[in-house]
Amino acid sequence: MQRAVNRLGIVFFPAFDWAISPTHPERQERLLYTMDQLKEEGLFDIPGIREYKPDVAEMEDIRRVHFCFPDTASNLTSSHLISAGGTIKAGQLVMEHEEDKTFALVRPPGHHAMKVVHGGRGFCNVNMEAIMVENLRYNYDVGRVAIVDTDCHHGDGTQDVYWHDPDTLYISIHQDGRTLFPGTGFPGELGGPKALGRTVNIPLPPNTSDEGVLYVIENIVLPILEDFKPDLVINSAGQDNHFSDPITNMNVSAQGYARLNQLLNPDIAVLEGGYSIQGALPYVNLGIALAMAGLDYSSVCEPDYDPQAIRQERRITEYIKKMSRAVLDAYFSPPTASMNREMHENYFVRSKEIFYDTSFITERQREFLLDCDHCPGLLRVETSSSKTKNCLGIEIPRQGCERCQAEGARIFEQEKARSKFTNIQFINRVDGTSQRAVAKG
Amino acid sequence: MILGIDVGGTHTDAVLLDKNGLLAAAKVATVHNDLLSSVRTALAEVIKGHDPTKVKRFNLSTTLCTNAIVQGNLEEVGVLVSAGPGIDPEQFRIGNCYAVIPGGLDHRGTELTPLDLEKAVAQIDQYLERGVRIFSVIGKFSPRNPDHENQLAELLQQKCDFLTLGHNLSGQLNFPRRVATSYYNSAIWPVFNDFANSVADSLEDFGLQPPHVNTLKADGGTMTFSQARQTPVESIFSGPSASVMGIMALCDIKSDAILLDIGGTTTDVAVFADGAPLIEAESIELAHRPTLVRAMKTKSIPLGGDSAVSALHGSVCVGPKRVGPCMAQGGSVPTLVDALNCAKQYDYGKIADSDRGMESLGQELGWSPTQVSWQVIHEFCRVLKQETLDMLGEINERPVYTVHEFLEYRQIVPKRIYLMGGPAKVMAPFVNQAFGIPVVVPDNYAVANALGAALARPTMQAELFADTERRVMNIPVLGINENIGNMYSLDKARNDVVDHLCTYLTNHLDWRVPQSEVEVVEESAMNMVKDVYHVGQDIRVKCQIKPGISPDYQYAVRCLCKEQ
Repeated sequence: MQRAVNRLGIVFFPAFDWAISPTHPERQERLLYTMDQLKEEGLFDIPGIREYKPDVAEMEDIRRVHFCFPDTASNLTSSHLISAGGTIKAGQLVMEHEEDKTFALVRPPGHHAMKVVHGGRGFCNVNMEAIMVENLRYNYDVGRVAIVDTDCHHGDGTQDVYWHDPDTLYISIHQDGRTLFPGTGFPGELGGPKALGRTVNIPLPPNTSDEGVLYVIENIVLPILEDFKPDLVINSAGQDNHFSDPITNMNVSAQGYARLNQLLNPDIAVLEGGYSIQGALPYVNLGIALAMAGLDYSSVCEPDYDPQAIRQERRITEYIKKMSRAVLDAYFSPPTASMNREMHENYFVRSKEIFYDTSFITERQREFLLDCDHCPGLLRVETSSSKTKNCLGIEIPRQGCERCQAEGARIFEQEKARSKFTNIQFINRVDGTSQRAVAKG
Repeated sequence: MILGIDVGGTHTDAVLLDKNGLLAAAKVATVHNDLLSSVRTALAEVIKGHDPTKVKRFNLSTTLCTNAIVQGNLEEVGVLVSAGPGIDPEQFRIGNCYAVIPGGLDHRGTELTPLDLEKAVAQIDQYLERGVRIFSVIGKFSPRNPDHENQLAELLQQKCDFLTLGHNLSGQLNFPRRVATSYYNSAIWPVFNDFANSVADSLEDFGLQPPHVNTLKADGGTMTFSQARQTPVESIFSGPSASVMGIMALCDIKSDAILLDIGGTTTDVAVFADGAPLIEAESIELAHRPTLVRAMKTKSIPLGGDSAVSALHGSVCVGPKRVGPCMAQGGSVPTLVDALNCAKQYDYGKIADSDRGMESLGQELGWSPTQVSWQVIHEFCRVLKQETLDMLGEINERPVYTVHEFLEYRQIVPKRIYLMGGPAKVMAPFVNQAFGIPVVVPDNYAVANALGAALARPTMQAELFADTERRVMNIPVLGINENIGNMYSLDKARNDVVDHLCTYLTNHLDWRVPQSEVEVVEESAMNMVKDVYHVGQDIRVKCQIKPGISPDYQYAVRCLCKEQ
């Protein structure tokens, strides 16, 4: 019997009693056949591979990352806390050197959850990867982190959470936003003024197959990782680029996913989307697990796998090559001069409208980042949604300087007294605290 | 009357009892290369002066099959597997005659590729030509659909002496374990079958005609000899289960508890949840191959009465090596028993020799013999506690797959320790001090194993899978494979599996078990959705009959147990 080359821990939590709604893609049945396949393969018996029970995340873990309105608890179910806790567990196992690599095979997913949370969007409420990364940064000496998101949908949530963080590289490979939810993730989205180039978007045309995805891994992702030199590489391992996925239009196979994982060589993988629950997930998850463990995956193929039928057209190959050059240029020499940013006093301003397609909520948001020479800058978000009006989020970043700390505390006190906002959350990452103030009446 | 025999590694124990209590007990040395003679000697001794015709049940626990596997005394087996997508089945190759027959099913049991019957026939003929007469056939996902296994079985009919079908051994999904379990089941069949014949002859020689002849399984249950001839692999590692069942017979265990059996070389730990011993379907490994044999969850800590004690980094170290007997018995290295002697807690063998040993150990560390003896006793208890807590920690970390289970997670918190083995009585106060919970030492633990073998009842587990889209229901271990309607429900499934299980027990074991004894341990019904339409339900029910003690007899022996 084979033995894992890399010790692999799999935190498996299929949440067989949780669904968004009975026929929703994110339903009880989603990982049922994956479980059957992994058990039947005897995956957890392979020496060096071990299954773990998830932990449950603390409210503190969520409050460290998200501005949740009207409060944290009402945006969550137990399943979210266990899924987040399972992801944290995967991170801890790697940090404690108990395992070389880990795979958090948990649901619900999280990569569409943004910094501000008023409800669910894209099947996500809170961001599992961000909650894990910030837990690890709080408890261990973790500096630079790269999150490579290979879900078919642009991980607009993770991008938003890390938009201003120069220490977190976020790379998303996804089906072109002009053809799929959430409609974002273009190469020009490069990160905030203090983290320019730390967001990398690689939109692929519909019908891209293994060849195209592996091309961008080798020619964009790996050179960028080489340059960024992260302490940790995390793969948001969505599996909806699969040729059989019901809600996307890509042509990636289990072999492609396994090879992708082998090339990327992440420390931690976290399941995101993927809704071909019978034809894809059992094989893709098996392929990823074997690749992470450093084992042979060559015989892991879908029953209906036909490489000829899903071969990529030549014009797609040409398009991807051209786009790749542009994406690389944008990372290595971001076009600062041409970027015209709105300023208000000494704050950078960004306005957004967000639709929560899962909870049917609309949100208007104005985000203010203090233009600071000493740290990434104090963040202030004024947000109003169809569910909760006039909320304010204030965050002092991890690397926050003394001026930003003082300014953050001052604004919190001032706004508390003014009661212009119904609900204020003040995250101080330097102290490791999160406070909330709710207007009386 | 019931007669129970436990053939252990060192001793073979026998007990004879009726509803009023223990009638006779015997202990003889086990003869390793002739287990049958050990059985006969113990049998002769225990039946002496009693009417053999009154024995209504004969239960045997034996290391026969375990030994056969450890010593490689295995028959050549033709192993035919059919696989499908996933890990290359070559990875699971076992024995010298292993062939992969093209064909495969998917995770729902849907046929992806039909079985290549021509190739199968050619392979079977080749093995038959090589003199192979014993076969195992295993299909990937056969618990979901036994079709490929059944097709192979048909080809083998009348051509082989013995055949194992993977899905008959367990409904659990784990192809590599199913392959290994099926292989071993066939490979030890000749040894077991011959032994069973000889035991039957021996019973006759002694004038016994018990209507019930059973053998003990690793999960603390019994199976009839005729069942065991079909699934001899279930009789492996029945030793630990005999001692656990023995304690259950002697003591009325109700809460979470642990059993510590302090032997010469090791201390064996077993765990009880609400008075029932913990059982695992995935615990037994045979020659490093994990199997599907259900077994008591036990752990063997390399720490016993004869573990050597030594000085290490200015402190005492107990074990893990065993270097002969204690000095009190003429050994050359001091042990826990010597420390107990020297601390005046025990009176075993030559105490002066124990004192000498502890004195020289004390000199090494700059302590008096008494001081160092107490250090040894406390260190022993410390390591014992640590290892036990590690085991409980692992059990309490078992995975769960639903939010409900996660939130209602049942931690095992032992309220009591049951202590067995040579120095149990002496060690009880120290174990009590170390663990901080009450310790019970049953009086008659010397015959616990044989009592356990004698009084154990049948156990059984069955899994039902129903797929209302494919309109099939199967219970692999009972060989049930039926068509169902699309209105088939979880309630119906629950009733079906319990009914079928009880019918099976009545027909095959002549055991009319009340349905209330059947415990449903897992159940789920999940809607299957295609596109956005509901197309059916995936229904699963797992039920079991837990290990237990024959109710008619438990009060007869329970008086032997006194709380300390």
